[in-house]
Amino acid sequence: MISFINIFVNGLLLGGIYAITAVGLSMQYGVARILNIAHGEFIMVGAFLTWMLHTSLGINPLFCLALVGPILFLLGYLVRHYLFKTLRERTPSPAAFEGNSMLMAFGLLFVIQSLAIFIWGKSIVGYSFMPYSVYLGEIRFAANRLVIMVAAVAICFLFYLFLTRTRTGKAIRAASQDSDAAALMGVDINRMLTLCFALGALMAGFAGVLVSMDVKLNATMGMEYTIIAIIVIVLGGLGSIPGSLVGGFLLGIFGSIVSGIEPGLTLAAYYLLFMVLLLVKPSGIFGR
Amino acid sequence: MKLKTDAKNVSYLVIIILILAFLVAVPFISKPYTVILLKNILMFVALTLSWALFSGPTGYISLATAAFYGAGIYTAAYLGDVLPLPVMVLCGGVASFLLALIIGAITLRLRGIYFAIFTLSSVELIKHVLHWIEITVLGKRGRPVVKVSDSTVFYVILIIVVLLLVTTYFLKRSRYGMAMSSIGSCEEAAAHIGVNVVRVKVFTFALSSFFIGLTGAIMATGLIYIDSQIAFDLNYSFFPTLMATFGGLGNIFGPVIGAVLFSYLREILITKFPYVYMLIFGLVMILTILYLPNGIIGLAQTIKVKFLGGKDATATGRKVN
Amino acid sequence: MTKKAFLLLTLILCLSVALIVAGCAEKDGEEVVEEKEEIVIGAARSYTGPLAIQDVSCFGPVYRMWIDEVNERGGIYVEEYGKRLPVRLLKYDDTSDMNTMTNLLKKLIVEDEVDFLLAPISTAFLKAAAQICNEHNFLLIGAEGGAKELEPLMAEMPYFFSLLNYATQQAGPLVDMLAEHNIESAAIIYIEDQHGLEYKNDLVPLLEDAGIEVVFDKAIPMGVKDVSSIIEEAKSKNAKALLCCAYPDENFAVMDECIASDYNPDVILFGPGACFEVFYQIYGENSEGVMGWGAWNEKSSDKLKDLAERLIAHQGGERNMDWWGMAIYYAGLEALEQAIEKAGTLDHEKIKDILATEKFDTVVGELWFENGGVPAECYPGQVGQWQNGIFEVVAPNDKATNDPLIPKPKWQAKSE
Repeated sequence: MISFINIFVNGLLLGGIYAITAVGLSMQYGVARILNIAHGEFIMVGAFLTWMLHTSLGINPLFCLALVGPILFLLGYLVRHYLFKTLRERTPSPAAFEGNSMLMAFGLLFVIQSLAIFIWGKSIVGYSFMPYSVYLGEIRFAANRLVIMVAAVAICFLFYLFLTRTRTGKAIRAASQDSDAAALMGVDINRMLTLCFALGALMAGFAGVLVSMDVKLNATMGMEYTIIAIIVIVLGGLGSIPGSLVGGFLLGIFGSIVSGIEPGLTLAAYYLLFMVLLLVKPSGIFGR
Repeated sequence: MKLKTDAKNVSYLVIIILILAFLVAVPFISKPYTVILLKNILMFVALTLSWALFSGPTGYISLATAAFYGAGIYTAAYLGDVLPLPVMVLCGGVASFLLALIIGAITLRLRGIYFAIFTLSSVELIKHVLHWIEITVLGKRGRPVVKVSDSTVFYVILIIVVLLLVTTYFLKRSRYGMAMSSIGSCEEAAAHIGVNVVRVKVFTFALSSFFIGLTGAIMATGLIYIDSQIAFDLNYSFFPTLMATFGGLGNIFGPVIGAVLFSYLREILITKFPYVYMLIFGLVMILTILYLPNGIIGLAQTIKVKFLGGKDATATGRKVN
Repeated sequence: MTKKAFLLLTLILCLSVALIVAGCAEKDGEEVVEEKEEIVIGAARSYTGPLAIQDVSCFGPVYRMWIDEVNERGGIYVEEYGKRLPVRLLKYDDTSDMNTMTNLLKKLIVEDEVDFLLAPISTAFLKAAAQICNEHNFLLIGAEGGAKELEPLMAEMPYFFSLLNYATQQAGPLVDMLAEHNIESAAIIYIEDQHGLEYKNDLVPLLEDAGIEVVFDKAIPMGVKDVSSIIEEAKSKNAKALLCCAYPDENFAVMDECIASDYNPDVILFGPGACFEVFYQIYGENSEGVMGWGAWNEKSSDKLKDLAERLIAHQGGERNMDWWGMAIYYAGLEALEQAIEKAGTLDHEKIKDILATEKFDTVVGELWFENGGVPAECYPGQVGQWQNGIFEVVAPNDKATNDPLIPKPKWQAKSE
């Protein structure tokens, strides 16, 4: 019984990382219609920045959230403003834009990754963060993953509040639901989409900070997180913040159970789950 | 009008035959590495043409190319010792064809980006399952592949490319081709006017995969040793897509030109500038999509319209979705 | 309309002709030169892609330094030409792709006509490269990548030599050491790959013969994130030794989990990853007592101390060290250099005969090849252990630079 609870808890803790990885991509695809294959590279950049700040300046990784987030926000803003906006203006149909933006994001992936290699090199780097466990009765929580999960949930919650309670957030949601109507109501769609993409990058930055507390980093780590993020947003429904959260936790628990039975098939099971879900309910659990 | 079209076709044909004759002579007149280089470029041409055969007119972005390519490679690895080369290559094609029938049949409901990410995941799923089977059931990773001389590989790929060109040409002009374009412009409308959407989609998908499988099977003989990581490399899903976009999907020469230029660029980058290969490659991709949304062919046509004022250029806009 | 067709197709034609001509013409001009001015060493290695990390942390720093050092001495003396020839590196990027690697290797051999080749990265690539080189009667000395599965190639292919030690040489000394220190039980975690399989298959029978109970052997997939259930099991079965035969990413995940769950077996060993200096940089005090395959260090011998210092200096003072392979890679390059000088020619057939039969004086001491591989006694060590920031050699006994620290001290968990 206790081992089963532990599997469940581990899945939950892992789910926190998965959720925060996915939220940003969910924004970018759900609202701005950009399937940002380079999302994982943004996470990688965030993680490397955190590592740099922590090891060279001794800044606590949690404080890095406040430093790394804005940098990534700016990066996302520039990328959307100079690349995807232009692409959108040049592409005739929204459907063609989806395809082309994915291909462009792939180019972006190459560029960001090689720049990261020039800056940080190719070798593995990392640091240890809270490498111990806390116990609740007999149930064990890895301390760093617990912190990550709490932070991830808090960030998602704040972000959700931002989207539902503030004027700008409401405008973003309006833009994602019916951009024509929103434009008629005086929402500057283009600005909203840029903001949205930048917010996605901000979330990727947060994810990077949190991820760096758990795993060791290298410049080619991004793709893995992009794939997990895609699985989670399909699981939870595009553009839905609660969906990403729940999707992340579900995937974490699912993965934990599979790896308890046959660890070798964990990744295969992720893809299988994802593909089956795509077929059965492509709009996701929280999909509209 | 009829006469004019014929004249145009004949001149196309003559030039194509000239190029082919030249290519056939290459192994006799050039250095050994030129054959290898051209073999590689032709491989990308074959993959890109196969990809464009289905994805061009229908607008579905398939990222399963690596899965079919890998299926061809694995078929070659398993059957290479027991079957003669042509049969083995054909088996590779058939294996991919069958795989594509399965993937095609279960992705019928998926549209747009969902189709792209589903096909992408299928590559990863096959890779991981195969790896797991090799390690836990067979207890050994990977396999050696039977070796064939580079010029043989070159000729086989040349044949595949010619078959592809012929297939693409006739398919475009057949009822299937029309049906495919109608699916590309509006699937509901196509179904409405009596196109058997399911059959057309699945059959063309499988047909394009057949050629990818052939290419994989013959290319495997140059790899000597393969495992699931080597055979199912996602780059082989992305490259054909990018090369076709780079060249332009407007007509049959777009993918060819795209693949030739792109793979030659790649060759120069990895030999002359080893460390910046990824950076330049990424930049070229971004700039292409940004400034050449209709590819090189689109650019050529824009120039032509500007300078020669041709009328037929309007008909060849990009047909994605 | 015909105009358009011609426009387009002349373009294609021109391009293809240009291509062929470029391909043919590139070398024609140079071939007249008969006087040899330099030795060109070709490399089709992964400078980008997933394998690229190994060029940075394993063989890369070694061959780059060796080339600089050779050129500082004025080059390699080749009797045939009666002078020292400087060495030049011609490197191509295989982008971690097998097809590209095989093509570029052929390009280096047949078109660029390089004098020698550096090995590509990874065992799988080595398998293909060995065959291509052997076919062209071209010498290939392996680097990153050592495995039992290479043994048949090493034996059958006279032009292929392998350097790195692997399970066959390493499992024995480890098990001897465990038995000596009365370890009663061991848990094995292995990566789902050929590497993991080979180590597991070698370790299990040896452990059982030595009377050490194998409580479980479990496979983990590449890229695994959550290994808690496996560590939980090892903990509950109270395995005294945890042997994790995986790759760096997975080793780090297992290590993190062991620390987090406060699992303190008497012996803990990791595959590639633990032997890197970066392991100590990441884990600091917690690396104390952790074992890894290897091994060599500054204390092994004066020559190796000197080598380590030179490697660090050559990398601008950065301690980017691989305490497993770097010494033997360097020794391999020295052996090649000495074989060339002994042969007095650049003829591969003669050099290969010398490599196969003679002994060379290198940083690791006397080095020679048997059946295309390096015999166990040539290696400076098989198992290493982090002690006070030094990757001490702890097995086999006659090569040890320090006694093994068993049981390993407990994790310093709450330091942060």
